[in-house]
Amino acid sequence: MSEIELSGLEKRYGDELAVEDVSVTIEDGELLCLLGPSGSGKSTTLRMIAGLTSPTDGTVRIGEDDVTERPAYDRTTATVFQDWALFPHKTVLENVAFGLRMQSTSTDERRERAREMLDRVEMAEHADDNPTNLSGGQKQRVALARSLAVNPDVLLLDEPLSNLDKRLREDMQIELREIHEDLEKTFVHVTHDQDEAFTLADRIGIMADGELVQVGDPHEVYENPKNRFIEGFLGDTNFLAGEVARTTAESVVVETELGQEMILPSDGDDALAVGESLTLSLRPEVLTIGESPVANDADPETATVADGGTTNEIVGTVENAIYRGSTVRYSVAIENSSVFVERTVADSGAFDAGDDIRIRWNGADVLAFREDGTRVDL
Amino acid sequence: MSGNSNATASGAIERLWKPLVARSRSKRALLLMAPLVIFELLIFVAPFLILLRISVSEAGERGTAYAEGTWSADAYANVLTSEVPREVIVHSFTIGLIATAIAVAVGLLYAYAIWRADGFTKSLLLFSVVLPLLTTLVVKTYAFRPLLSPTGTLNSLLESVGLLSTPLEIVPGLAGAIVGQVYIVLPYAVLAIYSVLATMDWQLVEAARDLGASRPRSVLEVVVPQAMPGIIVATVISFAWSVGSYAAPFLLGDDVTFAMRVEGQILRDFQWPTATALSVVMIAAMLVVISALVAVLSRFGGEVEYA
Amino acid sequence: MRRESLETALFRAGYLVVFAFMLLPLAVVVVTSFGASGQIAFPPAEFSLTWYESFFDQTDWLRAFDNSLLVGLGTAVVATILGVTAAFGQEIDDGLVGRLLAPLVLLPMLIPPVIFGVTLLVYFTEFDLQGSYVSLILAHTLWATPLVYFVMRSVFRRFDWQQLDAAHDLGAGPVRSFVHVVLPNVKHGIFVGALLAFIVSLQEFVMALFLSNHTTETIPVVAWNQLRNSLSPMVSVVSTFLILISLGAILLAAAATNLNWLSKQLS
Repeated sequence: MSEIELSGLEKRYGDELAVEDVSVTIEDGELLCLLGPSGSGKSTTLRMIAGLTSPTDGTVRIGEDDVTERPAYDRTTATVFQDWALFPHKTVLENVAFGLRMQSTSTDERRERAREMLDRVEMAEHADDNPTNLSGGQKQRVALARSLAVNPDVLLLDEPLSNLDKRLREDMQIELREIHEDLEKTFVHVTHDQDEAFTLADRIGIMADGELVQVGDPHEVYENPKNRFIEGFLGDTNFLAGEVARTTAESVVVETELGQEMILPSDGDDALAVGESLTLSLRPEVLTIGESPVANDADPETATVADGGTTNEIVGTVENAIYRGSTVRYSVAIENSSVFVERTVADSGAFDAGDDIRIRWNGADVLAFREDGTRVDL
Repeated sequence: MSGNSNATASGAIERLWKPLVARSRSKRALLLMAPLVIFELLIFVAPFLILLRISVSEAGERGTAYAEGTWSADAYANVLTSEVPREVIVHSFTIGLIATAIAVAVGLLYAYAIWRADGFTKSLLLFSVVLPLLTTLVVKTYAFRPLLSPTGTLNSLLESVGLLSTPLEIVPGLAGAIVGQVYIVLPYAVLAIYSVLATMDWQLVEAARDLGASRPRSVLEVVVPQAMPGIIVATVISFAWSVGSYAAPFLLGDDVTFAMRVEGQILRDFQWPTATALSVVMIAAMLVVISALVAVLSRFGGEVEYA
Repeated sequence: MRRESLETALFRAGYLVVFAFMLLPLAVVVVTSFGASGQIAFPPAEFSLTWYESFFDQTDWLRAFDNSLLVGLGTAVVATILGVTAAFGQEIDDGLVGRLLAPLVLLPMLIPPVIFGVTLLVYFTEFDLQGSYVSLILAHTLWATPLVYFVMRSVFRRFDWQQLDAAHDLGAGPVRSFVHVVLPNVKHGIFVGALLAFIVSLQEFVMALFLSNHTTETIPVVAWNQLRNSLSPMVSVVSTFLILISLGAILLAAAATNLNWLSKQLS
């Protein structure tokens, strides 16, 4: 009933293009996360769905209706704002009942419904408080209750968790997920936090520079990023500059800044010219480490073996080891460049700065991107 | 003053000064504030005590303003019982209430417009408020005469278009006095409301609209209660100055306000006790009305209707 | 959407009407000052500079200009000293006196000017000061000080007081640290405060009407006395000068700070 269809949505402020040609269909009952850095247009897109910003081009359809021209108060959406926007001159209960009052629901009914909503978010005992005295987490719950009280077809969440501390944020993510499963409504959630998006989303839409770059389920966008930007944005990775040295029927050999060749398996479909510049992404989780071969290995930089064509190995020197709670991050110097590797503390191998270390990975796990950022389909 | 009273005065100052020093952390701070405090006491508080004293004196003999050292409640009796002062008071309050209502309503609209505008438009709107604010009353009011008088611009315009056959009697008249007075207080009302609105979060209005409030409704439900501190200041200033208005009713009106009457009694009739008594009564009446207005408005700042 | 557009159109029309209402009287003043005839009419039938020429021949107007300037400068000096010291003192220690100060300073602004004029006339007569420049300056200071005081409170509140601690820590005494650390940061505020005090005094007329005599009359008082008799374009000429001075002051003040901040201080 409440499927959302955006087509060719555009928002222009003077010469500046905030949102450019966004088209996507959000399915009924789905939880879609719009993920992107600040200024990527994700909030503007959400506001256009809510009717708080009018698009300069394109259409918004909710259910059967084209609502592009309809003002916010005439749409079946409800928004939870980043700063929650609770009315400071009204009590918590009056805040939650506000939307129902606008629909001219009877006093008894709206009070009953508002209490029910407050119960649901465990804020019933604060019904008569002034919202300015609540903590961030409590405000967030009230804002959620206020938006749910009008029984919207679509719930829009504009980074409502970004002002909470880490622990509370993680609790609220799980709670939001539960509420979504309970209500079976369409949710659109805007965030710049990739962990939050991965925790919550049925599907993730990644935005950059006003464009919707890729939409897919979390696994898909992570495993199969469409371009270099997404690969960099979704997690920490090692980007290495390189140049195509030669291609064979089943592999591409790339000369990298690590001072050695890297072999990537390929089905040969993707035409790569010899000498073309590439960026390779070596994610820390695909790298395995071990002690360097015996100490008499005279030249660690060139001591690599390419067995069977796709396993790559390299030796470097540990520059530093940083303990980050449950994991250890090693920064490893190789040639003039450096690569970082992450291990759980239990599995860290306890290397120290100055130790030689052997890094190994499967060439099939490496992603390659062209100079313009597009992914090479190997 | 005799030497004796001088000594008691310095003793009194000492008695006052010591606990003040004891209650503040810094003597230097008190010394820095002292000049202004003394100034206010000498030029504001003391004159008002003398005003009060004169209002309970007997009327003076021929040629003197009042009889020094006498006590009498005649002036108050005169103000409260005779017809003319009462009419004057009613007239002043009529101008005050109407001008205040218009100034606050229009001020809210204009302050909202300034708040929502940005860039050059915002500067232009602010400028249009600040320039009249910093221009003398005299200039502000007389300009309405060529505009609104029976032979003025507005009437000849309306007549030439054929909307009128006989000219509107705006100036001189009650309407003219109110137009002039609104023009005087409007800049203050606008800025008082604007300075509060400027601190308000626009998201609150968006939240109200998102929850189904139409635009007028969202203003009524969210903007007005939030702007209430500014609206109260605007009301108090507009009312106090409009009740005591002098220039606008003099140049544009056709009836005597209390300020005009007081001026006449002081400068021409030399009836100081009556004039001062009238002033005291007016200030008292104004304070009562202002407190009532503030009390009523403050309730709107909170939520009147439950949920 | 049609309802939305209608609302938007009404709102725009509303504030444009107010905008015109705000500036129209000032425009009338300026335009009528260029009228040729002896009666004010808007728009004038004929334009000329006659009234500007004769303005410079009229000694009572020129004397009024001198008086206004003198009273304005005096008010600016006294109000600035009182307002800046008090605001500074209150910033150091907002104790009992500080809390009482704000309402005490604000209250005079709520008393109708005519009552003030009467009260101060009676008061200054007791000291034989009626009609003197001193009485005018003191009366105007009563109105101008709140502005300076509130401007300076706002300026001092924005000042980072750790700088003063740092200056003390580096060995500067109270006076030197004020001159070298505080003053450079607040001088724009002091300038704007003094400018506002000057303008308030220049434009004030009701108290001046009561307190001045024939030799100390300020411009608005002379203008008023002429208006009582007839509407002569000479008043428009003088008023145009007054408007220009205010205009210049706003531009100066806006250059020293910004218009938005300035506007919030004026309420």
